[in-house]
Amino acid sequence: MAHLGERVLARLRRRDPDALREIVDEHARPLYRAARGMGFTIDEAEDLTQDVFVTFIESLERFEGRAQIGTWLFGILHHKAQERWRSRARDELNDPIDTAFAAQFDTRGKWIRPPTMPDRAVSAREAREAIRDCLEGLPPLQREVFQLRQVEDRSAADVGNVLAQTVTHIGVLLHRARMRLRACLEGKGWTNSS
Amino acid sequence: MMTCQEVSTLMSTGDLPRASLTCRLGVGFHLAMCRHCRAFRRQLEAIGRAARALSATFDAEPPTAFEADMIQRLLR
Repeated sequence: MAHLGERVLARLRRRDPDALREIVDEHARPLYRAARGMGFTIDEAEDLTQDVFVTFIESLERFEGRAQIGTWLFGILHHKAQERWRSRARDELNDPIDTAFAAQFDTRGKWIRPPTMPDRAVSAREAREAIRDCLEGLPPLQREVFQLRQVEDRSAADVGNVLAQTVTHIGVLLHRARMRLRACLEGKGWTNSS
Repeated sequence: MMTCQEVSTLMSTGDLPRASLTCRLGVGFHLAMCRHCRAFRRQLEAIGRAARALSATFDAEPPTAFEADMIQRLLR
């Protein structure tokens, strides 16, 4: 991922259209996609993406160019999303999904109800619809981690920087998101562990 | 040998690539022996595929002029 050189940074601070176009062309759609993945509507995702770039331009004086630009932009997106979510984005220390997951193993750590292979007969469209519904049930921060790690394929370290969380906690949040989705999809008969 | 709980947790947290070589070998060995954990891994893969497929539909939502319009607004 690109770091911003001093020259590019200077051009951006002058609002150079070509420099701005480069940044927008590379990052606008991933930011929009991530906002949609976090559950925002089409209009909200467009507004958020616009907001991110406005804040980015306003904060260029403070940006030293050492951070990766994607990390910086996704960090702004995270803060904007949190502002909109407000208290909904609270991270729970004790998540019931942890207990539910642990309950799937016996005292020797073996599966009590072994997972089975996902049903291959489920169509791609059905799978998309099922996951869309199940994503709605994720707490905002877990949904954000899932989107950035699983869909945007960003590293745990990078997502940790974006969300101001430790790498270990990013792993915990990804695990919780995946186990919630798995449980939800089981309920829809898409993957099952019966 | 590592337990199913340890192996599935390592896969689900995404910590496996950063784990020690011994740990990764242990997971590989466990997966070779345990069809339940292989099924669990397939479930994680299926969840990832479905989420990426959903996300691909979002990519197609903004009009082609999305970026150009945004630049215009930013330069105003």
